[in-house]
Amino acid sequence: MNFRDWNEQQDLTQFLHHEARLLDEHRWDEWQKLFTPDGLYWVPLVHGQVDHLNHASLFCEDALLRSMRARRLEQARAYSQQPPTRTVHVLGNIALESRDDGCCTVRSTLLLLEWRKTEQRTFGGSVLHTLRRADDGWRIQTKRVDLVNCDAPHEALQVFM
Amino acid sequence: MTIELQGLVQPDRVHKRVYTDPAIFELEMDRVFGQAWLYVGHESQVPKPGDYCTTRLGREPVVMVRHTDGQVHVMFNRCPHKGAKLVPDGSGSAGKFLRCLYHGWTFKCDGSLLSVPLRSGYECTALDLKDPQYGVRKVARVATYRGFVFASLSEDGPELKEFLGGAATSLDNFCDRAPEGEVEVAGGVQRVIQRNNWKIFFENLHDTIHAVATHESSWRAAKEEHEAMPAGTPKPFEVVIVDGNGEPLEFWEKLELKGYDHGHGFMEGIFVPPTDPVSLAYVASLEASQGAVRADEILRVNRHNTIVYPSCSPHTSFQQIRVIRPLSVDRTLVEIFSFRLKGAPEATFQRTLKYTNIVNSPSSNVMPDDLEAYNRVQEGLGSDGGDWVSMHRAAGRDQPLPGGRASNGNSEMPSRNMFAAWAGYMGVDTGAKTNELAGSVE
Repeated sequence: MNFRDWNEQQDLTQFLHHEARLLDEHRWDEWQKLFTPDGLYWVPLVHGQVDHLNHASLFCEDALLRSMRARRLEQARAYSQQPPTRTVHVLGNIALESRDDGCCTVRSTLLLLEWRKTEQRTFGGSVLHTLRRADDGWRIQTKRVDLVNCDAPHEALQVFM
Repeated sequence: MTIELQGLVQPDRVHKRVYTDPAIFELEMDRVFGQAWLYVGHESQVPKPGDYCTTRLGREPVVMVRHTDGQVHVMFNRCPHKGAKLVPDGSGSAGKFLRCLYHGWTFKCDGSLLSVPLRSGYECTALDLKDPQYGVRKVARVATYRGFVFASLSEDGPELKEFLGGAATSLDNFCDRAPEGEVEVAGGVQRVIQRNNWKIFFENLHDTIHAVATHESSWRAAKEEHEAMPAGTPKPFEVVIVDGNGEPLEFWEKLELKGYDHGHGFMEGIFVPPTDPVSLAYVASLEASQGAVRADEILRVNRHNTIVYPSCSPHTSFQQIRVIRPLSVDRTLVEIFSFRLKGAPEATFQRTLKYTNIVNSPSSNVMPDDLEAYNRVQEGLGSDGGDWVSMHRAAGRDQPLPGGRASNGNSEMPSRNMFAAWAGYMGVDTGAKTNELAGSVE
């Protein structure tokens, strides 16, 4: 499926870039406000995972859990954030998967560079945003990040991808 | 090279080298992991004949396979011909036989040789295809306890049940909590890499006094989250399982720790009957199958982490087993398996997964501060800032019990108990009087 026109493409591309920037700048509160009240942030544990309730995940977070993570990252005594995790998100291959009344799904490719303490890590994967139109712009209904190495052993994953 | 081990472990302190010396790590692989019963997996991971899953026992890559007769075998993942790994890492189905990718030698699912190409080429040679050494080598001993498969790389040593001692009651309770009395692995396996010696992780399992300090960021975040909710909102499960780490030291002191021979042990929790709908529906399912009296008996066994030394830690209340696979002196892999209680409502299993996602997964909010602590310990122990690691708290105050000893929740008895076992495997004399460390009463 193609974007209707350049305006639609710009609109959705700008939204995804804005979201990535909020994460890279640790603007957790603003990032959380991008979600619908029942929105889900999900990073599956295995390739092709269809179910987040009956199978474990890498991240599986509703508003409560996203808020708890954001609060923890900002605590003075979050020892595992001494120093804090630094990230840079690079998005590409942004494509419209489907469009419905006030709702659309957008696929993008993610390269994520993460630095903390002594270690630079690279994550890559495919991201599927399910978005809903609100009065003042898009809201995230679901953000699903399928990492190429989702089923690998990982060291701690502390910040949102 | 001989390594001087004597004097490294004393009844109430250990030398830093046991955590940092790569040569000692290699000896541990030979002597601790080469002798003890190690957790391999659960029978439900290989439900049908031909199903296999691989793992590591110490340094050894092994594969658990179900044979056509239903028996579960554990063998070295190595073809007896040229040495290639027979099955790829992971799990799957081999079908009716195992076939090596390299030259097509095939083996029955019990490891015995089935066929080789160019059989005539071996006629009148020194290689006798009937010789058992041309089957896949099995690990020395395999035994199962209520579906949990253990293996030992040594022909000698106690039987599995004797080895487990008092820790067997945790595996019993693990299964008894299922209305059908059985559990099965489900929902995938999470894997976490730690940058620390494996023993640091084990010691932390019953270290109650780190929680309030180390986990301040997560218990405070959980408390703040609840405070931000409208007054009178019941604490959600997500908050309960995180903010408990903020309990004061007096709370932990009241818990009872039990330590058993061979390094095992568990922490007795405080029984608080849960009253949320998910818990009530589960309790009703257990009562329907077992009767109210027996169900109450089962649920009163309320334990936090059990230690089955040196390979795994079952958590009976949240249906999970963490398996500890040392990779090197300062790297450890922990695998987290979730289990379904057969006959319990689906919501019970979904809660099990919620617990593991929040508390144990790589993205846990709780665990990163543990990993940071372990890593700082590992790095600090590599320095010249001191030689000894203290295990003195409440030393000499253990209460003997059959096959082990008990202490209050703030004692470092579990560490002393594990090192007593470690010294036994490693052939180290701790200088303790027998009753001081073994503490057993027959």
